[in-house]
Amino acid sequence: MKSEILYPGAFPMVRVELAEGEHIKAESGAMVACSPTIDIESKMEGGFLGALSRKFLTGEKFFFQTLRASRGAGEVLLAPTVPGEVVVLDLDGVNEYMVQKDGFLAGAEGVVIDSQMQSMSRGLLGGEGFFILKMSGKGMLALNSFGAIHKIELKPGQEYIVDNSHLVAWSTTTTYNIEKATSGWVASFTSGEGFVCRFRGPGVVYIQSRNPGSFGAWVRQFIPVSE
Amino acid sequence: MPVQPNALCFGDEFPASGTPCLVHVEDHGLTITFPPDRDGVESRDESLKFSELTVSAGGLDHDQLVATWVGLKGQRTLYLKSPDVIRAFRQAAPDHLSQPLERAAEQVRQARQRHRMVWSIVGGALLVVVLGLWFGSDVLVERAVDRIPVEWERKLGESTYHDFLAHQDVMKEGPAVDAVNEMIHRLTGQISENPYTFEVTVVKSDVVNAFALPGGYIVVFTGLMKKAESGEEVAGVLAHELNHVLQRHGLERIIKQLGFVAVVSIVLGNPPGLGGMMKQLGVELMTLKFGRAQETEADLTGLELLYRAKIDPSGMITFFQRLAGKDEGRVEWLSTHPMSNARAERLKTQLAGMPKQNPEPFTFEWPKVRASQGAPPSILP
Ligand SMILES: [Zn+2]
Repeated sequence: MKSEILYPGAFPMVRVELAEGEHIKAESGAMVACSPTIDIESKMEGGFLGALSRKFLTGEKFFFQTLRASRGAGEVLLAPTVPGEVVVLDLDGVNEYMVQKDGFLAGAEGVVIDSQMQSMSRGLLGGEGFFILKMSGKGMLALNSFGAIHKIELKPGQEYIVDNSHLVAWSTTTTYNIEKATSGWVASFTSGEGFVCRFRGPGVVYIQSRNPGSFGAWVRQFIPVSE
Repeated sequence: MPVQPNALCFGDEFPASGTPCLVHVEDHGLTITFPPDRDGVESRDESLKFSELTVSAGGLDHDQLVATWVGLKGQRTLYLKSPDVIRAFRQAAPDHLSQPLERAAEQVRQARQRHRMVWSIVGGALLVVVLGLWFGSDVLVERAVDRIPVEWERKLGESTYHDFLAHQDVMKEGPAVDAVNEMIHRLTGQISENPYTFEVTVVKSDVVNAFALPGGYIVVFTGLMKKAESGEEVAGVLAHELNHVLQRHGLERIIKQLGFVAVVSIVLGNPPGLGGMMKQLGVELMTLKFGRAQETEADLTGLELLYRAKIDPSGMITFFQRLAGKDEGRVEWLSTHPMSNARAERLKTQLAGMPKQNPEPFTFEWPKVRASQGAPPSILP
């Protein structure tokens, strides 16, 4: 399996070359085009209940698609829904990442996707629900972001503060605390924003340069209110 | 043979995500094997004595064993996740490490326990609420229903009623309409303190069904009337339907379903689900399957209503039994009013316990009513 990011930047596409018999898992709307040798299976990772809980609890689409080169080698073109960068990580069996629900684009067959409950405070305050995806195993993992993706590298003990809604993924060797950014708790609760994560290394944190929630609010003001 | 790494090592010369390595626990300490990297750097081993290490718990879930030491190239940090390696480490570690190790283990246990406890409380509370709304505490549902004004109920039923009738072949007049109106009139005349104004429509359709929407909107299909051997049989179904309305059974069902989904949506933050569900409500109203307790209640109160209206209640029983008999699958009505032998038996017992009275016949002749719908005068052979 070989992967390559085409048109890096705001509107990237990922090309994955598959040898005969190989397959990848992709977010269900991600497939743009593929060779005729590729079969698309809607597979429910983790069984029906797993898929169901992922749908309800993480807001993730019901199925991951499995794209399988069952009739010979071929290639697949994948793209995320939102404009923004794609980053390809290579999981080595030891590194594990927590991925925010919309951050997953595709993963090699050796990548294990797990829905995980996160801490109560982050679940309540994070605005992303109580479940996030945990990626482990081996192979290519493609993440997508809204806006540009930025990697923060943390040495052991080094701290960094990230706005909640800009988080994409972070390694499981990091720890974090939820803190409020604005001066009043009331303001934080009513706006649903203004919570930050204080990360502590070692490890890496991937953040996105745009906030989907704020962007949504900005767009909404131009939509006429229907009577 | 390539080594399968089981730990991550952090240090100044390593990438921020750590470098994968293979850790072996030995009597004197640890051996760390760094696999060859892509730049062609050879695989190399590093040995560490336990005395050089300090340990703690770390990582996102505080479930990793973190060992730090100062090597030749500065501070090094090792993150161990594999339970086997952690166990081996704890067994081999000398006394000076066992205290911090126990402390680390205790931290892990506490973190896990806290996590588990919080989630079991949340899960338990959720389960109680959901189960409570879904199965048990009808009290809650009844209370919620009590708060809904009849006016709302009327609006709910009325819009569904008109939407439904817009696509149906409605029978405006004729013997069938007169007959049904007479039945409704006789029955509703016996309801005390009736907050509803009942409206009834006969629909030309072979579907064997009749339903009452919340607020008192009743639809009878000619298919059901053709199956009836007498006016009393149809009146039995109507008495049953009227009581579903009077006991607000439809509303109870809706509240149960709304409550269930509402709780789930609020907890899981999925408000679009609510909108879609409200849209479905119209469909829901007509396909509403009543519960067993509601059926029994509607049966028994329906029987009493027939009795008070001096309509022979045995028609109700024979009709229910006949409907449930041979071609049950084709009788729509049974899909929303699940029939059982127990229901008929219950009605018979109840009827046997009532004082005998002379029923007053209807003014119409049933065979003529049936014939007006193009049905043979009798369905009995
Ligand atoms: Zn019923």
